[in-house]
Amino acid sequence: MIEIRFHGRGGQGAVLASEMLSQAAFIDGKVPQSFPFFGVERRGAPVTAFFRVDDHLIQIRTSITQPDIVVVLDPGLLKVIPVADGLRPGGLMLVNSRRPPAEIEAPPGARRATVDASRIALAHGLGSKTMPVVNTVILGALARASGVVSLEAISAAIEKYAPAKPAQNRDAAIEGYGAVRTIDPTTSPVPPVPKVPHPLPPLPEGPIASRPTTSIHTSSWRTLTPVIHLAHCTKCNFCWKFCPDDAIGFDDQGFPVIKLDYCKGCGICAEECPPKTIEMISED
Amino acid sequence: MAKLTLPAQELMFSGHSACPGCGAALAMRLLLKGLGPRTVVSVPACCWTVIATPYPTTALGVAMMDNPIEATGASISGIRAALDAMGEKDVTVVGFAGDGGTADIGIQALSGMLERRTNALYVMYDNEAYMNTGVQRSGETPLGAWTTTTPVEGHEHGKIEAKKDMMAIVLAHHPVYAATLNPSFPEDFERKVEKAKAMSGPRFFDIFAPCSTGWRFDAQKTIAIGRLATDTGVFPLYEVENGRYHVTRKVGSLKPVEEYLHAQGRFRHLTPANIAAVGAQVRDGWEKLLTFESESLVAPTPSAAPTAPPATRA
Ligand SMILES: Cc1ncc(C[n+]2csc(CCOP(=O)(O)OP(=O)(O)O)c2C)c(N)n1
Ligand code: SF4
Ligand code: SF4
Ligand SMILES: [Mg+2]
Repeated sequence: MIEIRFHGRGGQGAVLASEMLSQAAFIDGKVPQSFPFFGVERRGAPVTAFFRVDDHLIQIRTSITQPDIVVVLDPGLLKVIPVADGLRPGGLMLVNSRRPPAEIEAPPGARRATVDASRIALAHGLGSKTMPVVNTVILGALARASGVVSLEAISAAIEKYAPAKPAQNRDAAIEGYGAVRTIDPTTSPVPPVPKVPHPLPPLPEGPIASRPTTSIHTSSWRTLTPVIHLAHCTKCNFCWKFCPDDAIGFDDQGFPVIKLDYCKGCGICAEECPPKTIEMISED
Repeated sequence: MAKLTLPAQELMFSGHSACPGCGAALAMRLLLKGLGPRTVVSVPACCWTVIATPYPTTALGVAMMDNPIEATGASISGIRAALDAMGEKDVTVVGFAGDGGTADIGIQALSGMLERRTNALYVMYDNEAYMNTGVQRSGETPLGAWTTTTPVEGHEHGKIEAKKDMMAIVLAHHPVYAATLNPSFPEDFERKVEKAKAMSGPRFFDIFAPCSTGWRFDAQKTIAIGRLATDTGVFPLYEVENGRYHVTRKVGSLKPVEEYLHAQGRFRHLTPANIAAVGAQVRDGWEKLLTFESESLVAPTPSAAPTAPPATRA
């Protein structure tokens, strides 16, 4: 049995990727299983999906804590989610990133692979600059880097089950298949990723929630970050007025300051800024 | 610092779980700025229950009660009665519900609350579909819009029915105050909040709440789309105080409705004939509104005021 865990953001199609991979495995004559983690699937919020495949019926139904393969659809997640948690020794980590695989942090002994899926998706007209829909490119790359499914099966599954633009999605997957770069662990050992504990908050007594949501940092939802070039700021406060996340405060001179722990990167402040002095910058 | 044109207080906290650029989140933020801390908010099942309550936290700096989707109106009548019994007179009681929970599922409870003359403010934040459950059409989904239950495929071209006129339905109950609000016009928004707060008796807000997820546009366009909605006449800004209409943003000549429709994926499939039909409906609504305004300036129309001014009670 092979177990795969997908990490993406709401809107990128991680759940659909896992489903289309299942269809491809069917075509290859295998027995797959696919299901999402039930959580907040807001656009931009981190989401997780699971996939298993075997030659015979799979009895286990639990979420995957010790994957053979981890697929990361957004490079920004590497900094905020312990994506490699539980990756089996010799397992594969496939990341959507411009960087070469040697620069991706992975547990010792892991195989690493990267593909610039955002660029390829946009070139095929999939999604927008703020949210490229990278799932099919990633599936092509996964077929090549892991051999879990054949390119023929994944192309056929995408053509049949992509909710829109089937031909573009198929072509994007084929380009992903060709563009993925892999590196073997024996050639260059990499430092281990420190395990980030995820503490469960203690439950309060009774059905009353009194702790503010400010204990939750939504920065992990962001793919683009606003940067205010203060030289042209007129202190009009438009950015502050329109932020749906109350993620803009003021410094002691009255200039706006982005609260980076909370900003979700929606881009409203940049769009509404009258002198256009806020720029949305990619953190990858 | 330049002078703030809105109250500085923030009673909606960061860290909530609305989508990036959510119009409904901005609506709550602006509403609570004006209402202040002596407020109780009752929220039914809708996006806002999920936004506010990643357990065990709350996104609201005021008391919030979670209630069933059909019960918002009833719940605020009950909260007001309890506060009255406790002698708490200075608390603003607010029901904050989605369009599905207001115009469809909770319409009887809203009607009951208005008819009982409950001293409370009922807010419908209108994202024009059942968003929390994944974009199903509601009575407030506009003509032609794509949703998952009004698909665009084969012979189906989006919603074939028109949007329900909730302001007209509410006004038939003769509230002391009813208004349309749009977060893209925050000063107008805040003025209406402060006005409603100072009144007692049944009050109603219809707040426009663009939803990038369900309407299919990029999140940074939330404010721009809201502005277009008002300036094309799709969502006029007005208030009705004891039967008297007042249009609060006078748009000299309406922008073409295409500018609003073309900005959103949910209207992408509309043909020129469809667009003309929407445009005709919008112009008709706008002209009626201007007529209501000029007529009610002379005298409240008989239908707009109850025969005996009702006493306010829970
Ligand atoms: C009686 C009942 N039916 C259905 C539901 C499921 N439900 C939860 S939230 C929701 C959507 C409500 O839509 P709306 O009121 O427009 O608010 P939005 O989610 O769009 O903000 C539905 C249908 C429910 N909670 N209760
Ligand atoms: S991008 Fe700007 S408006 Fe959007 S959440 Fe961040 S600070 Fe707020
Ligand atoms: S689905 Fe729409 S209304 Fe609901 S949280 Fe997201 S943007 Fe806001
Ligand atoms: Mg709704």
